[in-house]
Amino acid sequence: MSFARPRVFVGLQPRLLAAPRTTAARSAILAHRLLSTSTRALAQHAQGPATSDSHDGLTSSLSDRSSRTHSSPAPKYDAHGNELNPYRDGPSSIDKAVHLFFFTEILRGMWIVLENFFRPPYTIMYPFEKGPLSPRFRGEHALRRYPSGEERCIACKLCEAICPAQAITIESEARLDGSRKTTKYDIDMTKCIYCGFCQEACPVDAIVETQNQEFSTETREELLYNKEKLLANGDRAEAEIAANLHSDHVYR
Amino acid sequence: MSLFRTLRSIRRVGVREWWHQMQYIGDAKSGTFVGADQFGNRYFENVNQYEEVPGRHRWVDFAQHNYHASQVPPEWHSWLQHIRLNPPPQDPVMLNSSPPWKEPWVENLTGTRGAYKPYNTVPPKITAWEPKTTSRT
Repeated sequence: MSFARPRVFVGLQPRLLAAPRTTAARSAILAHRLLSTSTRALAQHAQGPATSDSHDGLTSSLSDRSSRTHSSPAPKYDAHGNELNPYRDGPSSIDKAVHLFFFTEILRGMWIVLENFFRPPYTIMYPFEKGPLSPRFRGEHALRRYPSGEERCIACKLCEAICPAQAITIESEARLDGSRKTTKYDIDMTKCIYCGFCQEACPVDAIVETQNQEFSTETREELLYNKEKLLANGDRAEAEIAANLHSDHVYR
Repeated sequence: MSLFRTLRSIRRVGVREWWHQMQYIGDAKSGTFVGADQFGNRYFENVNQYEEVPGRHRWVDFAQHNYHASQVPPEWHSWLQHIRLNPPPQDPVMLNSSPPWKEPWVENLTGTRGAYKPYNTVPPKITAWEPKTTSRT
């Protein structure tokens, strides 16, 4: 992204460029060193011997090191009976001492920090910028209407029945024209766990969860939604709800 | 922040707009003006991945000083959160799905006098005892 990148690549890996022949063996030794100092590797070791031998060559003889019974690994011999030096492929002691005394790991870490100073920042500056959201995102609830303006909910109470948090309360009556409508549709948003079961259960797509997630309130009472509030939410956000359902209808 | 990126954005948007951005977004950004909503919030986009990090390529400049995320109306909200590809004026689905009974968007009014106050929509099932006495003869 900036002028510093190619030089960084050279500057970060001088050791690997200097000695390309023994790269695999060295990396194995280095990985072994890192594993021996990381608690996560020790935790994995506690689960079983599966990590003791891996297919990619990064063998860590942690079981040998952690068990107290034999402190040193068994010496290896060649065909003539001479003992082999187990460290002959690893970094030399001078090499390790140089990295220890010149703080090369710390300098590499600090170089990464300096490198990011010259790159564009990754931080998403909410609320000016926002991260991507799915059309299936489950936010604030809303009750929808038909395009004619008639409310969709038929008071079947399936959402009330399926709600695992029992946050929905419904009472219904027959209207003067004979249609069954709800007189009370309360959602306790403090109980709601936003699982989306209510909108899955709804046979007429009446109760939906909109993409609105900025409905935080200062008092707890404001989260006890009634039917008027839910219908008002649907009336305001109908375009977005319908567009989301349209973009998702091929998968349903 | 990248110095080149900042200088480039200042050169494009001007010092005055840059100062405005630094007061609100806190970062110098430059892109194409996509549109404005009914409240005067302006929406920008820059899809050049070498100028803006992907994920930060759509942003809003709020009209109000006391900005809040809920001041973005739902149509633009779904564009700003990358739910829909096109901005609402060029999105046929969004244009067709606006019913005539759609109500104007209001921001989150919590903490103000316009805040939602819950109430019961049915007559109460429990009423206080009202003593009835027969008149004495």
